[in-house]
Amino acid sequence: MFLTPTMYVLEKALDTATLRQRTIAHNIANVNTPGFKRYQVSFEDQLSRALGLEPGLPLYRTNPYHLPPSGLELAPQVSRDTSTTMRQDGNNVDIDREMVDLAQNSLNFNVAVQQLNTRLAMLRYVINEGRR
Amino acid sequence: MELLPALAISASGLTAERLRLDIIANNLANINTTRTPRGGPYRREVPVFAERLQEAMGQLPGRPSSRAPGAGVEVAAIVEDNSPPRLVYDPSHPDADANDYVHLPNINIVNEMVDMITASRAYEANVTVLNAAKAMTLKALEIGR
Repeated sequence: MFLTPTMYVLEKALDTATLRQRTIAHNIANVNTPGFKRYQVSFEDQLSRALGLEPGLPLYRTNPYHLPPSGLELAPQVSRDTSTTMRQDGNNVDIDREMVDLAQNSLNFNVAVQQLNTRLAMLRYVINEGRR
Repeated sequence: MELLPALAISASGLTAERLRLDIIANNLANINTTRTPRGGPYRREVPVFAERLQEAMGQLPGRPSSRAPGAGVEVAAIVEDNSPPRLVYDPSHPDADANDYVHLPNINIVNEMVDMITASRAYEANVTVLNAAKAMTLKALEIGR
């Protein structure tokens, strides 16, 4: 009852922000490691596909024992970006990009926490008003 | 998913860059050292950085790509630069060789200064990431308050 889709998505957003924070920290810690290739986290495309914002093949499960189609269960994915090279030693960490990602990620995290708090405050409000 | 590993990852970056700065300081301090315990001039030292991968424990089977990437950086080794020593003609020097040339350390001060700035900038970047993770952790404590 309490785990509404909104809560679920917010939880996943927090998960993603945490994972992304670790990924950015790892990338920046390895900014001087020769041959290091940066990691990236993808989640938003999955989310918009799950919310039906993006055109795609809609899949429904008619039986709970059916295997879920990929993309129905939201999970942030970590992948390695081996396509580029920033420097002579093969390292492709772009520090500017990482710092921008870091700022954006902190904001995303704060937004998710704030929304979650608003949700919980609403629940609390409903519970308290019923008691009176 | 927890935020505390992010702090540890940034800390590994700080440690590595600090060590690099220490090595650069040592190189610069020994820029004129002609005597070492094993004989000959001091040789420039460089740290070798390597990506520290996450230990395989605690991962969900069948979900390899959703795990966190790694555990930061580590210094795999400190190696000596094998480039030849600088030769300076100075017959009055006590460590001059038979041809009156002094073998000085193979340190280029410009290289060291550039490396020093890189190390200090990378250190600062890691501090910024650390502060962001700290702010996020504190924010997470506000959930449901």
